[in-house]
Amino acid sequence: MQRPAPAKFELLVRRDDTEDFELRQVASVVGYLNSRPRRVDPESYEISELRSRLAVSPGFILKNTATDRFLLLSAQERFLWDQMDGATALQEIATAYVLKYGEFDFEIIPSLLRKLQRAQLLTFEPRSRLRAALARNRGRVVVKALELALTSLERIRISSQNVQGFFQALYRFGGFLVFTPLAAVVCAALAGVGAAAAVMLFRDVRDMLEGFGGHALRGVLTVKLVFFASVALHQFVHGLACVHYRRRVREFGFTFLHGFVPTFYVDVTDIFMASRRARVVTAVTGALVHLVLGAVAFIVAAQAPTGSFTQAFAAASGIIQWQALVVALYPFCFIEMDGYHILVDVLGVPTLKADAIAYAKRILTGAGRLRQGREELLWIAYVVLSTLSVAGFIAFNVWIIFSATH
Amino acid sequence: MQASAETLAFLHDVRVLEAFSDEDLAALTERLRERDLRRHQILFREGDRGDEMFIVRRGTILISKAVTGKVEQVLVRVEPFDFFGEMSLFDGSPRSATAQAETDVELLMLGRDSLQAMTEAAPRAAAAFFYAMVQVFMERLRRSTLQVAEATRWGLEATGLDVEAR
Repeated sequence: MQRPAPAKFELLVRRDDTEDFELRQVASVVGYLNSRPRRVDPESYEISELRSRLAVSPGFILKNTATDRFLLLSAQERFLWDQMDGATALQEIATAYVLKYGEFDFEIIPSLLRKLQRAQLLTFEPRSRLRAALARNRGRVVVKALELALTSLERIRISSQNVQGFFQALYRFGGFLVFTPLAAVVCAALAGVGAAAAVMLFRDVRDMLEGFGGHALRGVLTVKLVFFASVALHQFVHGLACVHYRRRVREFGFTFLHGFVPTFYVDVTDIFMASRRARVVTAVTGALVHLVLGAVAFIVAAQAPTGSFTQAFAAASGIIQWQALVVALYPFCFIEMDGYHILVDVLGVPTLKADAIAYAKRILTGAGRLRQGREELLWIAYVVLSTLSVAGFIAFNVWIIFSATH
Repeated sequence: MQASAETLAFLHDVRVLEAFSDEDLAALTERLRERDLRRHQILFREGDRGDEMFIVRRGTILISKAVTGKVEQVLVRVEPFDFFGEMSLFDGSPRSATAQAETDVELLMLGRDSLQAMTEAAPRAAAAFFYAMVQVFMERLRRSTLQVAEATRWGLEATGLDVEAR
């Protein structure tokens, strides 16, 4: 369908107080070019560079701190974002873009404006005169209190801000120990001893699982329920890591993952604003809970009398904990767990799963052709590895249950 | 004013008077008054009191409505054979917009008293006049609706507001 011509207004502009006037046709495009988009106030957003080994130019993550919405910006978009100060017209911004990059992409500005508006990071409205006046007179106690009160009222959110204090207290009263070199050494030692115990136990897995007394399936399900509690601990450690890097824990809760998997969750998306090291540490430390718990479980099982319920229960718990460790850190399983987030962070491709699945679907349905680009190879590798991994994971669990029941 | 052949011929082509007989037109012409405006002369301003309508005989009248400061939006250009100002003729309300000559203009004025007299003296002609007036009102209402939609489109285009995604 052909797009209609830009809408126009005919305006009559009077000169002084005489009857003389001038007629002006004002097309909407003129209004658009003269509009002065203004990004939200500096305290309402954060921007952080996202380096990638694949991408040629760096990307940026822009966060609306009021709504906790995130946007990925290219370097060009970042340049445009910096121009949007409310005083510069779009036409001037476009000119600055041409001077900077020597070319102009006619879609980049409208596209960016749409993105920013959706994320509530942009406004065409003039800055609040009241807030501007308050900011100018911040030296006065009453004005400062009023400004603080207004800021607090703007940031009121249900539940999301209430957990930060709890996690900070948890960190202060012992949680910080998790992020010490000593903790890392203890973790590594436990992993080694636990692995040795597991190897020893699995030499005679049949005797060990007899501890369930002929009710192995029921026993395994009970272990799964206990494991569920450890997921909460996993999330707590994510939150502690977030606090460790001085970022905010937005939410802690319980949900059904994908609509049916009950799980605890913690919102640590604020860590995107920290360094890559911080993001990786936050992702890994949560998963290491399962490494430690699994190792302890295997050690307990190894020390327990052979064929006792304690040994069977501890060994089964160890298996499940270490499985959880693998699932959490292994990125190729179609689930966006910690390992997946680390992978996409390192590769600089935050939409890897969605892009890979969409590409595979296009190939399988004949809607697209197989190409040998770098991204296409990455997508194919992700889909193939994930498919094989999920199949292997299911087979392993079937084998475990089969071994326990026969 | 005098009912010259030229004036009667002109009035025959005025839409709201098309159904008038020569006698009715001649009677009406006697009740009309002439008014000349030089280029850019203001006939009336938005908010002024008034109780007459105008038929444009020559030239162009701009009807505009104040938007902000010295800026007004041009609502319509009134060309020869067309009329304006009828809203105050009927309800006596203040003028809803400003009328100003874009060029040198010749107008014919019909006052409320004259309309009243015409209605009593020639009810058949008056009925035709009002019927034609209603048709013109409906056309103008449709045009106003389009203008509202166009103004909305202008605003959306000028701000780049992405409404579909909300």
